[in-house]
Amino acid sequence: MENDIILVIVVVTALAFDFTNGFHDTANSVATSISTRALAPRTAVTLAALLNFVGAFISIKVAATIASGIVDSGIVTTTVIFAGLVGAIFWNLLTWYFGLPSSSSHALIGGVVGAAFAAAGADAVKGAGLLEKVIVPALVAPMIAFLAAGGAILITYRMVGRLRPGPVNRGYRIGQIASLSLLSLSHGTNDAQKTMGIIALALITHGNLNPGDDPPTWVIVSAATAIAAGTYSGGWRIIRTMGSRIIKMDPAQGFSAQTGGAAVLLTAAHLGFPLSTTHSITGAVLGAGAAKRLSAVRWGLAGNILLAWILTLPAAGVVGALTYGLSRIFGTGALGPLLISVSLVALMAAIFGKRLRRGPALTTAPVDA
Amino acid sequence: MIGAINTKALQELAWVAPLAVLAVTVAWGLVVHGTTRATECSRAGQSRSASLYAAEAIAGGVLFAAALAFGLVIMTAKD
Repeated sequence: MENDIILVIVVVTALAFDFTNGFHDTANSVATSISTRALAPRTAVTLAALLNFVGAFISIKVAATIASGIVDSGIVTTTVIFAGLVGAIFWNLLTWYFGLPSSSSHALIGGVVGAAFAAAGADAVKGAGLLEKVIVPALVAPMIAFLAAGGAILITYRMVGRLRPGPVNRGYRIGQIASLSLLSLSHGTNDAQKTMGIIALALITHGNLNPGDDPPTWVIVSAATAIAAGTYSGGWRIIRTMGSRIIKMDPAQGFSAQTGGAAVLLTAAHLGFPLSTTHSITGAVLGAGAAKRLSAVRWGLAGNILLAWILTLPAAGVVGALTYGLSRIFGTGALGPLLISVSLVALMAAIFGKRLRRGPALTTAPVDA
Repeated sequence: MIGAINTKALQELAWVAPLAVLAVTVAWGLVVHGTTRATECSRAGQSRSASLYAAEAIAGGVLFAAALAFGLVIMTAKD
């Protein structure tokens, strides 16, 4: 009975993380398209949500481990997973509140690393794995995307700079719809799979699923639905940051940033070197702006984003560790995770209730997005 | 610890990724340039030039579609 309750809590928390992952990362695929008016805000998030949903069904090769190669798999229990998820949700909500794009995957890894550290000490954390799978990609992704998108916009201006702006802008807006679709599909494939992996791991631990088996249909459908619902809700604060606060972009810049980021991501995936979508797209947006004119980029804001990236792992880790510690105060059973879940849901309801009394918080596109 | 970094993939990524971005950018640039110029030439009654620019746009479109298809293949083929 107690194990059943923990399983239910982990599944619900994983789906909550999936939802925050969706609305936090909507900006990666839709921000540039909205700011260049390639698509209306609501149309853009609807298309992104649908393709995230479809993307979740493209590949179900779910790894039955999370933070694989980064923490000792032997100490990953349902309580560690729960605490890691809480750390990741906390960081996603905090960065969304400040309108800062940051990696949901790195937040999840940070949360699990923190919880594993609290559970078994420093030996549970594999420094080499952390360097290879988190730190190096976090440095490489924005740099390559910055240079590639910067080069792309220079070539674009060279090719079409002397043509009439009307048809050129229309052409690049159409191109942006294609790149938005590709990015959204890719996001659904990658990120919904993480949630499926977490739930599958919980089911394996609970004895409901054999290791190596495909996850049940309800897991795939619920993960796809949660990420699509999150995407549809639209993290407008981050969309505004990426679409218009870092640089004011024209359709050619929007296309270069979006397509440049997508090409870097997919090339990296093809070479077996997966990068963060957020880091790649943000780097590409900065590159597309800086190549046109260095002063066009709001470097102060770029610095804040960089700070958020640096803090992702430690901040999610501290919350993951604290959550694990709090859970263990109530023993190894379901009471700790249950009390923490109820407290967090009540706290979030209070915060969102207060925010909703001042006007729509999540569901309405800002006029200037 | 440094040995954990896959430097071969990293080096490959450093030149393949910008090359991929360049290919996609040029492909869509050909589409936009070709269609814009084809429309202008067609309006000016220069049908031969319009046909050539239309061919440029089609070639760019085929390249761009191929790049999108390759992206989809990468997504479906991932481990």
